[in-house]
Amino acid sequence: MEPVFKKRVSKATILKLQRKNSFEQSMMLPAVVKGLGVTLRHFFNNVAGGERSEAVTVQYPEEKFPYPPRYRGLHRLMHREDGAVRCVACMCCPTACPAHCITIIPEETGNGNEKRPAVFEIDELRCIVCGLCVEACPCDAIRMDTGAHAHPSENRANAILNKIDLLKNATLNDKDPHSTAIQGGVPAWRDTNKTP
Amino acid sequence: MSDLIRLKIDGQELTCEKGVNVLEAAKQIGAPISYFCYHPGLSSPAVCRQCLVEVKGQPKLVPSCYTPVAENMEVLTQSEKVLTARQQMLEFTLANHPVDCPICDKAGECTLQKMYSEWDGSHSRIDMDKKHKPKVKDLGPHIVLDAERCILCTRCIRVCNEVAKDPQLTMAWRGDREQLTTSPGEQLDNPYSINTVDVCPVGALTSKDFRFSMRAWELYTTPSVCTGCATGCSDEIHHAKGEIHRLVPRENPDVNKFWMCDEGRFTYKEVRVRRVAVSQLKGQVASFKSAISTAAKGLLSLIDAKQMQLAGIVLNAQASNEDNYVLAKVARALGIENVYLAGRPDQPDFADDILRKSDRNPNTFGARAIGEWMGKPKTTAQLADDLNRGALKALWMLGDHIALDERAVGALDRLEVAIYQSPHENFISEHVSVLLPASGWAEIDGTVTNFKGITQRLRASVEPPGEARPHHELIAMVAAELGVAIEYPNTKSIFFEMSKTVPAFGHASFGREAPPIQLRFAGSRG
Repeated sequence: MEPVFKKRVSKATILKLQRKNSFEQSMMLPAVVKGLGVTLRHFFNNVAGGERSEAVTVQYPEEKFPYPPRYRGLHRLMHREDGAVRCVACMCCPTACPAHCITIIPEETGNGNEKRPAVFEIDELRCIVCGLCVEACPCDAIRMDTGAHAHPSENRANAILNKIDLLKNATLNDKDPHSTAIQGGVPAWRDTNKTP
Repeated sequence: MSDLIRLKIDGQELTCEKGVNVLEAAKQIGAPISYFCYHPGLSSPAVCRQCLVEVKGQPKLVPSCYTPVAENMEVLTQSEKVLTARQQMLEFTLANHPVDCPICDKAGECTLQKMYSEWDGSHSRIDMDKKHKPKVKDLGPHIVLDAERCILCTRCIRVCNEVAKDPQLTMAWRGDREQLTTSPGEQLDNPYSINTVDVCPVGALTSKDFRFSMRAWELYTTPSVCTGCATGCSDEIHHAKGEIHRLVPRENPDVNKFWMCDEGRFTYKEVRVRRVAVSQLKGQVASFKSAISTAAKGLLSLIDAKQMQLAGIVLNAQASNEDNYVLAKVARALGIENVYLAGRPDQPDFADDILRKSDRNPNTFGARAIGEWMGKPKTTAQLADDLNRGALKALWMLGDHIALDERAVGALDRLEVAIYQSPHENFISEHVSVLLPASGWAEIDGTVTNFKGITQRLRASVEPPGEARPHHELIAMVAAELGVAIEYPNTKSIFFEMSKTVPAFGHASFGREAPPIQLRFAGSRG
């Protein structure tokens, strides 16, 4: 196509081309009708098409997308068999936490468990949901398997979960709030076939 | 015959003094030998068998802590036989150890933990239950024992016997039932009992004061000096987030060797109690500037009236040398001649012949030396006398404690100006016209001189509260308003000037800089 205008400006060249001036192109109407047809086809397929429906929309919040089993949600603190807090305030989780969002103040229990947290706070605004606290815990006392998101709150103080909140979270996922893990892990290495 | 002995350790020749054991000799060349029961400040019973080494010509391995060096001895510390023995002894030590490191207070500064990761690192091969022993056994007012964690090294028993000279601990039962206990009818309540916690290589003995309050790896350590008495034991301040958590002794062969008394360890508790955080004028809170100018005005009126013989300064044995020196220097420039020495009163029942002294001030020697440099220092009794007679109009006092009786304290009210710089509120602070907030011993850089004349360095570990600042800065501010320009960039420059002018500090050294390091990088202390 021959340019109707040509000019060289420093290193670039400006070309002006004349469009083919047909009736269909200047009206654009057939294309509009064609597009509307596609839309209508999808609409009827999805609303009344049954099997042919291609809709992937999840009707949140009535319907929820299933999370993968290892999804890291809101923290929870586990209970012992007698209902006491499982945590022994060993400070492994605040040590491992890269965001410094866990605050623990330990106290003596006076019973055989020796030590427990007097204060256990997690700042869910600071938490980066990495799950290192769960991995660091030697007692299976902290878990992130509730599948819940951090609750929206109107001020920052409400986003800090304390010990009571975290213990309540234990019922979010499980019907049984007690941890079923064996303290100290499963002693697989005691299998004499594996170790000399 | 010379007292030097030549021997070979791991093929390396060295000489050392007669009577030294092989373990200490090996330390000289840095040959790694592991040990639990040996402690350089205690006798060697050779019970842990962890320090076994091979000596050429001897059929069996020998405990290096119990074997003195001999001429032409050839020692192997890294042979296969030694390494096997070391690993096997460690496995034996761990046979009944509960390995509850995550919940053990000693974790992070535990010798057993360190040894395990250095020399063993393998799983336990014992497939039967561990022996159970009492978990929380109360041994005395300051100490709790976890008998399961104990590895029976007997260091604590030897601390009681040899340091405190009070045999209160002993081993009872035998074999795997053996456990530490107090002697019949005794409690672990000697004044040096917490040293047992320091020497414990595991978490068996814990101090009730520190127990469960903090994990070792969260602490920062700053070397400093105990201010509990005139001995001035070298110590480490362990602190985190601007708060002191404990004091532990630091090795110093000239002063305290490895030890420290319980009372001294608890001096950190007073650091934050009843602090003066803002300045006060006659008991009313005032701005810092107005307090400084009021103090200066009071002294200026005396200077103008040429009545400097009615003014006095009080040097304090609880303040550092630098603070005392700067006050003395300002007093000299102003022509004040009345110098008094103050401090806590003597406490004869506190003294013993181990470490503790009846003089409860850390810097009596230094304050007196500076007082003598000024002229003829008077005692606190003379100060009380002068106050009662009305022989003084102005007094500039360094805190904290000044042993005045009620009548003399009441006489402070009648002074034209009484400037009192103190970290703590006490019975004097209500009676002075100008109260300035000063930093305490844990918040300043400076030196103190103990009863032997050994000058040691205090180092700042935590921030002072409110407007509090070091004594010498306060003095310099007041002096500036009086027209005496005194400015030092840091405490070190004061010290160097002082060591040139005051003869008693001619040979003292300021000590190296020691920024706080995290305990997790400082290695195990067990």
